[in-house]
Amino acid sequence: MGKENTTFGSIHISPAAVATIAYRASLESYGVVGLAPRNLAEGLAHSLTREPARGVAVRFDGETIDIDIHVIIEYGTRITSVANSVANTVRFHVERALGLKVNTVSVHVAGLRVSNLD
Amino acid sequence: MSLGSSNIQAKHLQHLRDKPIDGLVLKELVQAGLTWLRTNQALVNSLNVFPVPDGDTGTNMTLTMQSAWNEIAELGTRNVGEMAAAVAKGALMGARGNSGVILSQLWRGFSRGLHGAEILDGPTLVKGFVEARDTAYKGVVRPVEGTILTVSKDAAAAAESALAETQDPIEILERIVPAADASVQNTPELLPVLKQAGVVDSGGKGLFFIYEGMLRYFNGEPLDVPTMNVQPMSALNLQNAMESVEEGQDYEVVVDFFPDGALDLQSFYGKLEGMGTSIQVGEGEGMYRMHIHVPLDKRYEPIDYIMGLGTISKVAMENLLAQMDDIQKSKSEKIELQVVEPGQIAVVVVSPGKGLSRIFASLGAGAIVEGGQTMNPSTQEILAAFENLPTDKVIILPNNRNIILAANQAKEVTVKQVAVVPSKTVPQGLAAMLAHNPDGEVDAVAGKMSKSLASVQTGEITIATRTVEIDGVNVEMGQVIALLDGKLVLAAASVEEAVVGFLEKAEAGKHELITFYYGEDLNRHEAFRIVDVAREKYSAQEIEMQDGGQPHYPFLISVE
Repeated sequence: MGKENTTFGSIHISPAAVATIAYRASLESYGVVGLAPRNLAEGLAHSLTREPARGVAVRFDGETIDIDIHVIIEYGTRITSVANSVANTVRFHVERALGLKVNTVSVHVAGLRVSNLD
Repeated sequence: MSLGSSNIQAKHLQHLRDKPIDGLVLKELVQAGLTWLRTNQALVNSLNVFPVPDGDTGTNMTLTMQSAWNEIAELGTRNVGEMAAAVAKGALMGARGNSGVILSQLWRGFSRGLHGAEILDGPTLVKGFVEARDTAYKGVVRPVEGTILTVSKDAAAAAESALAETQDPIEILERIVPAADASVQNTPELLPVLKQAGVVDSGGKGLFFIYEGMLRYFNGEPLDVPTMNVQPMSALNLQNAMESVEEGQDYEVVVDFFPDGALDLQSFYGKLEGMGTSIQVGEGEGMYRMHIHVPLDKRYEPIDYIMGLGTISKVAMENLLAQMDDIQKSKSEKIELQVVEPGQIAVVVVSPGKGLSRIFASLGAGAIVEGGQTMNPSTQEILAAFENLPTDKVIILPNNRNIILAANQAKEVTVKQVAVVPSKTVPQGLAAMLAHNPDGEVDAVAGKMSKSLASVQTGEITIATRTVEIDGVNVEMGQVIALLDGKLVLAAASVEEAVVGFLEKAEAGKHELITFYYGEDLNRHEAFRIVDVAREKYSAQEIEMQDGGQPHYPFLISVE
């Protein structure tokens, strides 16, 4: 996807690399307890995944990157704030690591994890 | 203060301490925490360097606490568990930003620890802190240490160990607050980005202020005057204090000193506040650093005062007004590019230095890309420079042999009509710029510009980065070398020697105009001196000198 030409050759960045960065960044975001496989997002939100490419979808249209992330959030946190943080954090880390502009980061809340009932 | 009123105050404080902490006292504590955090909000915001864009930590935490307070403002329950639950709900509803979400989780855990309790006694308080920590850590898969989380952990640990010695909740709080403070000061050791920026973690600091506000409530200390703490030396952020100058605060004075005995901070600050503003005090290994902004006539007062307190090791004084002038000036020195009219030819220039950019702009460049020998711009950067210009006729001047390729690639990628004039050096680019005509056809104009490249000889004076033999010239690393149109012609011991030698090789005596562009590493006076040497030798030629601002090359020279 991401391609850059230099005097020595060209650099290709695969969507999987972008997904890994996004995956790590979302797991460092406060309130995110896991990522959900997006194809099974409907019913199997509980089955957390450690495989980066599964909770993250990356699209590249030649210039900008669009990222979809399916997250599971800790029950009892303010979901909009957590989702905003995820979007900001992912955008920041991807842009810093790749130097490519991220167009949109869509955060899909696939489920909540209840570790304590109040 | 009269003896009578101080007695009344002491009695009031004793009463506060003796009273059991019920729901209504907790309400007061929440308000105290909020007020103290808000008072110090600006300080917390100023620490915001964590690379994740979390807005302003101080503001976010204050708004979260405000939301918690709004929830309980009308609540009259004496049951501390119920009050805590309401606080947690309010914090959750108003949680803003990363730090706000964590803060709301801390309150949620705290209220869980207080669940069912009528009164907040020592063990319950400790339970609240422990639950707060546990709940906060549950909300993240990979906790980052050196943040608000760490401070909540260290506070809980201090609470737990305090319980072995006292059951009194206020005494426990008295141990939590310094532990939280120490934890905040330690955050740079855990999180490298903080250390690099020379600050402590902002969220952790905000949490500390909430704890400290609660303790100040019990101590009857004011909550509306910003804190007068001593920061570790590494946390002193003196740059921030430079950004604005209040009226009358003309001088910045920084004094390093070793006090004789312990420093009485209260009176120290009190005295300094009579002299100026923006007071900051730092401490490291027994040495204190005081920073203050004072008016002109008081500029020696802080020094005289501190002289009486101990031994001064260093004094620095800066004229802020003059510095502000400089800042204003550099802002007004912004380069003004040629406005490109639709349909005209825009020239995109790669320029290695500020001064050169200005010269190119004055000759009619429509866009500038920063770059040169050691910093080749990418195709992307060159494209970005002209894609938004309101014309589809573009000429690129790479001004470096290594950038010509990227320029040609930009030409291939874009739909615009682009010609690359293969200028290999800055003087060639300038010569081409002089031949530029914005209202012609791209290929014709570019052709004319390309022809002019040959009219100039380029000299590049730089420092050899390794020992080598090229083109029959032996060069030792660190020697000054001269290149004539890209070919190494000589190595010399000094810039002056290299310039003189180059002019001979370029047969400057047979030409008319010699222009020197001096680089950013060369002192202006030194540049003048060397150019004067050239003037004496070549009195028949016209000699000019310009500020090029390019890195690594003390001089670029054009001979034409």
